[in-house]
Amino acid sequence: MQTVEEIKQKIKALNAEYAKIKDIDPSERKAFGQELNKKRQELEKALQDAIDAAESESVEPLDVTAPAANNAEIPVIKQGSKHPLMTELNRILDIYVKMGFNVMEARQLDDEFHMFESLNFPEGHPARDGYDTFRTEEGFIPPAHTSTMQHRALKQYKKDLEKGGQIAVVIPGRVFRNEDVDATHEHTFYQCEGVFVSKDATMGQMLGVLKRLFEEYYGQSLKIKTQPGYFPFTEPSLELLIEKPKSLGGKGDGWLEMLGCGMIHPNVLKMAGIDPTKYKGFAWGGGIDRLAILKYGIDDIRYFESGKLDFLKEF
Amino acid sequence: MRISLNEIKKLVKEAAEVDADEIIKLIGSRLVEVEEKIDLAPKYAGIYIVKVVECEAIPETHLHLCQIETPEKVQVVCGAPNVRAGMLAVWVAPGSIVPQTYGEENFKLDVRKLRGYESHGMLAAIDELDLGDDHEGIAEIDPSLKNQQTGELVKPGDSFAEVFDLNDIILDIENKSLTHRPDCFGLVGFAREVAGILGVEFDNGNWFANDLQKVGENVDITISDPKICQRYSCAVLEVKDALEGDKYLTPMDIFLAKADMRGISKIVDVTNYLMLMTGQPLHAFDYDKFLAVGGASTAKVGVRLATNGEKLQLLDGKTIDCNENDIVITSNNIPVALAGAMGGASTEIDASTSRVLLESATFSLYNLRKTQMAHGIFSEAITRFTKGQPAFQTTPVLADAVAMLNGNVVATGDEVADKPESTVVKITTEEINSLLGTSYDTDLIVKTLSNVGFTVNVVAGGVAGGTPDGRSEASTAGESATTGPAATLTVKSPLWRTDIHIKEDIIEEVGRLLGYDNIPLNYPTKPFIGAKTPELLDLKNKIRSILSDKLNAHEVLTYTFVSKNLQEQVGEDPNDSYEIVNSISPELQRFRQTITPSLLEKVRDNLKSGYKDFSLYEINQVSKQSYGKDEDGVPQLYTHLAFVTVGDFYKMKANLVALLKDLGFDTKKLDFRAYDGHFPYLESLRSTTITTPHICAGEVKKPVLKRLKISETVSAFEISLDDLIKEIPEIHASTINLSKFPSVERDITVKIAADTPFSAAEKAIEDVFVASDLDVSIQPVSLYQPEGDTKNRNLSFHVEFKSTKKTLESAEISAIMEKVSENVKQAVGAEII
Repeated sequence: MQTVEEIKQKIKALNAEYAKIKDIDPSERKAFGQELNKKRQELEKALQDAIDAAESESVEPLDVTAPAANNAEIPVIKQGSKHPLMTELNRILDIYVKMGFNVMEARQLDDEFHMFESLNFPEGHPARDGYDTFRTEEGFIPPAHTSTMQHRALKQYKKDLEKGGQIAVVIPGRVFRNEDVDATHEHTFYQCEGVFVSKDATMGQMLGVLKRLFEEYYGQSLKIKTQPGYFPFTEPSLELLIEKPKSLGGKGDGWLEMLGCGMIHPNVLKMAGIDPTKYKGFAWGGGIDRLAILKYGIDDIRYFESGKLDFLKEF
Repeated sequence: MRISLNEIKKLVKEAAEVDADEIIKLIGSRLVEVEEKIDLAPKYAGIYIVKVVECEAIPETHLHLCQIETPEKVQVVCGAPNVRAGMLAVWVAPGSIVPQTYGEENFKLDVRKLRGYESHGMLAAIDELDLGDDHEGIAEIDPSLKNQQTGELVKPGDSFAEVFDLNDIILDIENKSLTHRPDCFGLVGFAREVAGILGVEFDNGNWFANDLQKVGENVDITISDPKICQRYSCAVLEVKDALEGDKYLTPMDIFLAKADMRGISKIVDVTNYLMLMTGQPLHAFDYDKFLAVGGASTAKVGVRLATNGEKLQLLDGKTIDCNENDIVITSNNIPVALAGAMGGASTEIDASTSRVLLESATFSLYNLRKTQMAHGIFSEAITRFTKGQPAFQTTPVLADAVAMLNGNVVATGDEVADKPESTVVKITTEEINSLLGTSYDTDLIVKTLSNVGFTVNVVAGGVAGGTPDGRSEASTAGESATTGPAATLTVKSPLWRTDIHIKEDIIEEVGRLLGYDNIPLNYPTKPFIGAKTPELLDLKNKIRSILSDKLNAHEVLTYTFVSKNLQEQVGEDPNDSYEIVNSISPELQRFRQTITPSLLEKVRDNLKSGYKDFSLYEINQVSKQSYGKDEDGVPQLYTHLAFVTVGDFYKMKANLVALLKDLGFDTKKLDFRAYDGHFPYLESLRSTTITTPHICAGEVKKPVLKRLKISETVSAFEISLDDLIKEIPEIHASTINLSKFPSVERDITVKIAADTPFSAAEKAIEDVFVASDLDVSIQPVSLYQPEGDTKNRNLSFHVEFKSTKKTLESAEISAIMEKVSENVKQAVGAEII
């Protein structure tokens, strides 16, 4: 390979050639000039290559596998984290909003009326026991389900119905059950409720919406199935199961219980001032913790409220 | 609840032709969740009925050497005291698993030597067969018993599972989903549903068909209030050997074992059997003791509420203090039983009992639920009573019990306080289809409902009959007037369906029995209105992005409930908190007032784990009594953001300012004032209050940290997002006017008195440029206090300024710097150095 100096000499020599142009027959000047230009370009390219080659000899190679140069401080990129439950909740809410649902947040301290009465639980009914609620001295209840907001949602969005529209709202929130904590049980967890009311709501629509929700969430088409359930505030009441998605290792068999749902009981509509002979609705609610547990393969539900950085740094 | 599939097949012939897994799947999707399928066949494989033909005692042991007929002759060593030649016994052959160990250690028998004698397999006791707790001796089989499979007398070599119907599948059912279906807590009711699901008509057969014949005296029954007891029926009959059980292992024992119950005595077994079949619990009193307690010659049965503190000794020996919700059965007004829950000790049946009073009644599920909770009684009977057993069935079930016990009836009684009635619901085919989103025809609907006992009449329909809402286009001319889509039906519920009240209940029956999974999926038609997320939710997400993605903080979630101790440690007033009266532990007793204390606990835990430099934050709801109530009369809640960081005030402040800047606040205008003491755990001298938006921020008090066992400096801020959201500036498209002219950079160091606020010095510099109409950026570079000099400090700034109109001349620059020098001297008495 030529040295930088050698090439510079050649360029100098070439530059001298240009002076000869005036001695050349005008008809050949053009070709002569082009020839010189070509040579010049080649030399300039060679010069740059030679310079680069000479430079690179002085470049010190580094250990690309090392975190820093020798004697240098190791750069640290500090990263924060978002809680996985909030992240999943927001993904779900995004899907709902795209589907046209309004969002209303649930409250963490409520009363017997919203938790039970407005949901058609007769006073003293054994079904109330199934919820293992906490209570305050004053008789307030840290709600055991986000359904505690149904009555408020129906009342707040009733005006949309009256204007010929629909009620379409989802309600995320933190809920509480009085149960002992272990790897699979928490007294504090998150749910998301959905309420839809229109002139012509059907169970077929409900199942269509819920299938679509989980298909969006898991990014694949999914089979669904149902089993009869019992909730005083829906009639009929169902449990919805979805096919185990591929991302969770599903192979077309296996089912996951996702949520409880049903057609809103006429008494619940009536109590919110909605005429059940004119309007029909459906409602559903399911846990958020379970989605995160399945998605991230979390083996102990207690991590969620542990505040452990060991856990949080994974997200 | 456990359901035997073979019992279902006996009640629904068509079910026998359907594959077991298919039936289970259908039950799961159309009646109730099947939690577990327990296949008994492999558990009882390789077990046979045998005859002991020879039985000799092995000297100096309790063992016997037996020759058994299987029908081949086989030698077995048996240690049971009741083994004897001629008896029929149960033999677990070599190679088979002892049922008691099935599914756990799976103990497999073989041929082995005992005391020098070869023993092939074993003769099994009831507990070893996992059919009871009895281990007194080996199970003995009645030679007059018929093989349930073949109908012939049992003989040696018969499969034990065949003889006793153990080639069966047991379904473990989730009770909670049947809370509203008392009828399904009996096998007959459950089978009726299976028939309905299979689309065939259920035949009650002899169930609920016999009524109690009035015989002998009429028992005097008084129900104090129809609300606590709808109906009370009873029969008094003579019995012999009341406590005697059968010495043989009987099909009844097996029936009960499949439901996880045990054979006890004839009376108890019959009442349990009928309860399992019909869902109707029965109770037997010793009639003579009943009379003796009441002190009357004839029975005076009463049903009333207990009085507070009224004492009653129960069958389990415990004496309880009744409360005014408990229903008691009385003899001449003296309590003898806690109704629906447990009998009393004073009327307990014993070996000398010769007459029993059999009770068949219904009680208020509301009262029994409270009784269940108050006294902690959870029996099969009360589980059924708390579903609200239908009142029509008290006498038919009692009649069956009387027949099975085969005793002489001396008296009967039946008091109906509230007559059981059917519900009649008027509904149209269209109403059913429009709620489900289906197009089932009237005939199918009628058949589906009739199959499970509803009486359906088609009263009007199609064009001819007109439709309630005037819509007739759905009917076509060719259709019968009574089967068109708009047909009107009157649906009368059977007496066992106490849960049917409204149209939706009928719609549920149709949708469920025909399969919700057969409903075509659809979507609502949505008006073209965009959905909105609430502003608060958007703000929360924005804050999460800033803190986690930009400021390297970690989002945590901690419990809403905290301990009184924690509140006291940080100086909050526990009495201002809502207190949970049934908390799991003292750690979770108070609804929290602020989030920071919870985060401090997590800071401590993470410091302990070895983390040194980190920030945590949480967004959640808080409340306290002094916030008062909202318009619904429920406690006022606020959503707070709490942020804590390991480090001093200034580290926290840098994060706070960065957050507020990203939220759109003009951070130059933030007014850091002296701390207002809002949070008791922040150190007044090292904390600040910003007024707009209202934020309290500072270092946590050292004593608080010490009590929480934190030795590092920790700083925190906590903000009400409900307040913050009102202060967030609207984002205006600002005119961005980048100057084309070069900027000038200068470093300025001012020496000021140590107690002059930094902001005063900074402002003194800034004012000069603002007054001169120049763009300026002032960056603090260092805050330096020379060692030994406590009176002064040196503040260095990097100042960059430019004109938007021209290139500044050096003379102009000098003039400006001169003004800066003058102004800082004047404003804060500082000198430029």
